[in-house]
Amino acid sequence: MAENYDEGAVDKNDAFVERVAARLRTPEHVHPSFEKRVMEKVLAEGTALYPKRSLSGSWWRTERVFRLTPLTGLALAAGIAAVIAVSSVAVGARISARSQGTSRAAASVRADTVQLVRFVFVDPRAERVELVGDFNEWARGSTQLKRSGAPGVWAVSVPLSPGRHEYAFIINGSRWVADPLAVKSSDDFGTESSVIRVGPAGNSAT
Amino acid sequence: MKGSSDAELISAVLAGDIEAFSGLIRRYQDTCARFAVRMLGSRVDADDALQSAFMRAFRGLRSCRDPERFGGWLYQIVVNECRTYASRQRRRELRFTPATNAIERAVAPSTEVESESDVSWHIEHALGMLPADQREAFLLKYVEELTYDEMAGITGVSVSALKMRVKRACDGLRDLLEGVYHG
Repeated sequence: MAENYDEGAVDKNDAFVERVAARLRTPEHVHPSFEKRVMEKVLAEGTALYPKRSLSGSWWRTERVFRLTPLTGLALAAGIAAVIAVSSVAVGARISARSQGTSRAAASVRADTVQLVRFVFVDPRAERVELVGDFNEWARGSTQLKRSGAPGVWAVSVPLSPGRHEYAFIINGSRWVADPLAVKSSDDFGTESSVIRVGPAGNSAT
Repeated sequence: MKGSSDAELISAVLAGDIEAFSGLIRRYQDTCARFAVRMLGSRVDADDALQSAFMRAFRGLRSCRDPERFGGWLYQIVVNECRTYASRQRRRELRFTPATNAIERAVAPSTEVESESDVSWHIEHALGMLPADQREAFLLKYVEELTYDEMAGITGVSVSALKMRVKRACDGLRDLLEGVYHG
């Protein structure tokens, strides 16, 4: 059944409604054991969901030799995209570990292989561009794009594990921008972000 | 972590300090409790729904893209969880309470209202008589005192449909509580 509404149908100053609502506004409190019960479940699941990490020990801070795919032409592509003010491009590059000589290191490299993905954003009016995504826990200020060659071109390279990632750009600290050329995703509030799929090492990100 | 902002607590949890989530529970548990208790008419069901809601929030914490809006994001989860529980309650009632008129008779107020607690009892039971979508809209509008735009953001329902639900809820309550407030 369609639900239509006549704006004048509701009396906003309805004293009856106010009297009823006032009674229902009295505060409610959860049982004193509520927090403890929820935290027991949270702690049981938490370690697997959110393992402890420290900045100095982060995997992307470990020493690695990056062998990047040449990015020639990327800036040109971004420059053309500047017509629509916003664009991003992602390319893949293989990362290999410095200590390939030992089998132990090689095994750890296979388990920990990531691809370096380059995000390029074009907006000549931007003063500051950040990249947020599930890979940096949507933390503002953690991944800044830097001016890159041509005016208005901003770029940053981020190591990403294979799989699906969501991301967006934040311009001048406030404006949230999804990549117009990428697949879109929306959160519960309808905020759009973009989706990138990173293939296994050796394959380009798409 | 006392005094930490929502964003700081979320950041701590994501970094592996799981205990920090208790700060978010303490901060929002009572705010959410009022809606859940009024919506479900049962403290037991409300407790279950809130537990589920907080666990969903914990598991999906990474998808809370704007930690400064954690409260609104959590509230949306609570509303959705209460819908699920309200639907379960409805199924339970259909199975175990075939004589709906019996409830109506029990709720129908007598011409004389003996005490203030009687009034509250009648109001809460009349609220429980409303269809869940109308009850939800009424609570969000007049008890939680949200704007229609905020309600639309939380429920995913259009503003005009929400206004109609609120109007129907008000009409329904007026009919059910006619004796309590003498019209």
